[in-house]
Amino acid sequence: MIQSSRLITMIEIAVMTAIAVVLDRWILFQMPQGGSVTLVMVPIAILAFRRGLVPGLVCGLLTGILLLIFSGYVVHPVQAILDYPLAFGLLGLSGVIRLQSYASRIAKVLMAGAGLLIAGGLRFLAHYLSGIIFFASYAPEGQPVYLYSLIYNLTYILPQILLSLIVLGLLIYSAPQLVLKQR
Amino acid sequence: MIGQYIPGHSPLHQMDPRAKLLFVFAYMFAVFLANNPATYGLLVLFTGIGIYFSRISLSVFYRSMKPVFILILLTSLLHLWMTRGGEALFSFSFLTIYEEGVRQAIYISIRFFLLMAAASLLTFTTSPIDLTDGMESLLKPFERLGVPAHELALMMSIALRFIPTLWEETEKIKKAQMARGADFESGHVFKRVKSYIPVLIPLFISAFRRAEDLALAMESRCYRGGKGRTKWRELHYSHLDVVLLLLFVILLTALWLLRK
Repeated sequence: MIQSSRLITMIEIAVMTAIAVVLDRWILFQMPQGGSVTLVMVPIAILAFRRGLVPGLVCGLLTGILLLIFSGYVVHPVQAILDYPLAFGLLGLSGVIRLQSYASRIAKVLMAGAGLLIAGGLRFLAHYLSGIIFFASYAPEGQPVYLYSLIYNLTYILPQILLSLIVLGLLIYSAPQLVLKQR
Repeated sequence: MIGQYIPGHSPLHQMDPRAKLLFVFAYMFAVFLANNPATYGLLVLFTGIGIYFSRISLSVFYRSMKPVFILILLTSLLHLWMTRGGEALFSFSFLTIYEEGVRQAIYISIRFFLLMAAASLLTFTTSPIDLTDGMESLLKPFERLGVPAHELALMMSIALRFIPTLWEETEKIKKAQMARGADFESGHVFKRVKSYIPVLIPLFISAFRRAEDLALAMESRCYRGGKGRTKWRELHYSHLDVVLLLLFVILLTALWLLRK
């Protein structure tokens, strides 16, 4: 019997971070413009539902840092921070929804979807901001950088959010114990 | 499989990860100081020397940069087409290429290469575990403000340790489900998505079980967090790191003097 819930939380964060990095390599769909659709958001969201907001944020942050180390591309120092630690860290915000307080499976699935939508939306916002910084420092003056960034990021983040939503819903519906804190 | 680290014994490999982390971060801002041929030339020379001393072949750099080539090409074309100023070098119906556009296209491409090369040099010559140790050490002063540097580094090391294991496990589960007739590659989107579930559930369950085992094992060995814990591998600054610092100071001064 494990005594310290802090320790088990820490280890679960580490293991879910590892899964997120592994899933980031499992490319499900390749988008024509270069972005790829993966399930990287799912483990972070599951941990956030299981252990709460702060562990979720930490898991996202660590995932972002590891992805940056492994395969990140850096075109601007601020872009690097926005695109990796911050964008993935924000995914942990799905933990603002406390799934434990919903009894029925359907309610759990719906609320989890809401949580993921919030987190995914914020992640999109981080990528969007970084896109603006990127285009502003590379594109010629007088370009509609807001529009460029919006279009570029929407094309790969939106399918990713939708796919993660479906997978997360199916996961929580068929294995609700995953989001239940064990102790 | 995952990661970019290339083991070696070059001077760059031997530098302290803290020194490299700080240097790369500062260097990335320094790159934006360049604004004329002299400063860009200096940076290219400096980065080239770094690549030479890393003893990593150019083809490796080429491969890691390949995904951004299209981005570089697009932004360059955009500049060629849109940026006005200076003499018109070439004109064809609606398309006029100006001197300034060519200059900007070249500068922007060089800047891309410089930033990518700097980031790649860091991850090529520093193992992820060294980077983690370096980050922990750099975050130490912030512990007073409540940043749990030790815990973060521990979680990162454990994650690094588990990535290959869980990668293998994912592959194994995928094969096991394929042997049972699962199909991940064809069919419409929803059918494919549904086929991921029998992979993900065992993966998550076994991962949580592993986490529990590890926590139990650590607790049985009286793990009590970061206070007073000693390290198996300790970081030490060497003369190489002093050289790096001096080089950076010289580079920064030169950039300052040469830029317009």
